Amino acid sequence: MNLKDPNSMNNILGIVLRSGVVLSGAIIAIGTALFVANHSLDDTSTYLAYNPGLIPHGNFPVSLASIATGLGSLDPFSVIELGFLVLLATPVARVALSLFLFAAEKDRMYVYLTAAVLAILLFSMLATPLIPLFNG
Amino acid sequence: MIVILFFLTLFIASIAAGALGSIVGIGGGLIVIPILTLFLGVDIHYAIGASIVSIIATSSGAAATYVKDRITNLRIGMFLETATTTGAIIGAAIAAYLSATILEAIFGTILIISLVPLVRKIGEEYPPKQQLKGLAKKLNLRGDYTERDGRKIDYNATNPGKGLAGMLAAGLISGLLGIGSGTFKVLSMDLAMKLPMKVSTTTSNFMIGVTAAASAGIYFARGDVNPLITAPVALGILIGAFLGTRLLVKAKNTAVRKIFALVLAATAIEMIIKALGF
Repeated sequence: MNLKDPNSMNNILGIVLRSGVVLSGAIIAIGTALFVANHSLDDTSTYLAYNPGLIPHGNFPVSLASIATGLGSLDPFSVIELGFLVLLATPVARVALSLFLFAAEKDRMYVYLTAAVLAILLFSMLATPLIPLFNG
Repeated sequence: MIVILFFLTLFIASIAAGALGSIVGIGGGLIVIPILTLFLGVDIHYAIGASIVSIIATSSGAAATYVKDRITNLRIGMFLETATTTGAIIGAAIAAYLSATILEAIFGTILIISLVPLVRKIGEEYPPKQQLKGLAKKLNLRGDYTERDGRKIDYNATNPGKGLAGMLAAGLISGLLGIGSGTFKVLSMDLAMKLPMKVSTTTSNFMIGVTAAASAGIYFARGDVNPLITAPVALGILIGAFLGTRLLVKAKNTAVRKIFALVLAATAIEMIIKALGF
């Protein structure tokens, strides 16, 4: 594929976005099927309790370690959370890939702008959950 | 309520939210949040977490088609994302110190006021061709796309400074309130930068996923993204967004603007009602 052709940039980004969407949709569908298979008649209140005093507020895995453990035993909520993380990674992958595509087009201004967006995005995703200022 | 009924209700509402969101460039929180809080009795924190899921799903689901069809303007989107992500971080940082009520009242009022210029150009199919100058020229903020009947539409952006300011507001709202971010993005591109309506909504669609991803890590770590809600919302939105994109590529710019004006009015009313405490 000729990277200098602006059409190929659109095509590559389109493929990345579509793959992320299809993959996350498939994982979430599997998690949903696993959950519905055993719990379709449960009352939702058990799963929707919100504890303002606790972090995390709900009764489901949120750390990567607990999700990984849950995946081992095919815990439906861990599978759904994994699907969400793939969905979340899609726009980030799109920005990261744009950096290379703008570089291939030798568009220096947009390499800088994209690098700035990626830096802000990664800072906010990875660092801010650890900073107390953001968790009030 | 039993799980299967909860799933089905939310799944169907999310298909509608995804279709609407992918056409007018918003994330679907406008539909998903009230369905969850008013109809299904879910805690507002989980509803905002679901709104984040809905935004990212609408954005990636719709953008896959729009980027391939070359309606989305990748450069304008990337340029403006510097402001939306910065705004989202500032919003998340100051959220604990600001009253959401006052903000909702202010943003709701801004939206209502912006209905005036929007309605004035309600019948405009394409904006008058702008001269490419200054910062817009330096950053190559121009583009073209092809309509279904084969006509090539050329356009230049104007007022990049005003566009950036609008995007900073959009980012702040996303970090603070979890609703209305797409509305501000479309307004900035349509009213200030004078892009064709479909370019504004699809580029907004492209951007909202990144803005939402910037604050998603915080919501996820807090435990506000509940998998029981995530599953039907994500699946419904992805299907709805796929359907919506089929409609948008065929639609006229004037039709998209009319739907957007209705969505804008609904968003403003929802914000003001929340501010008044109902």
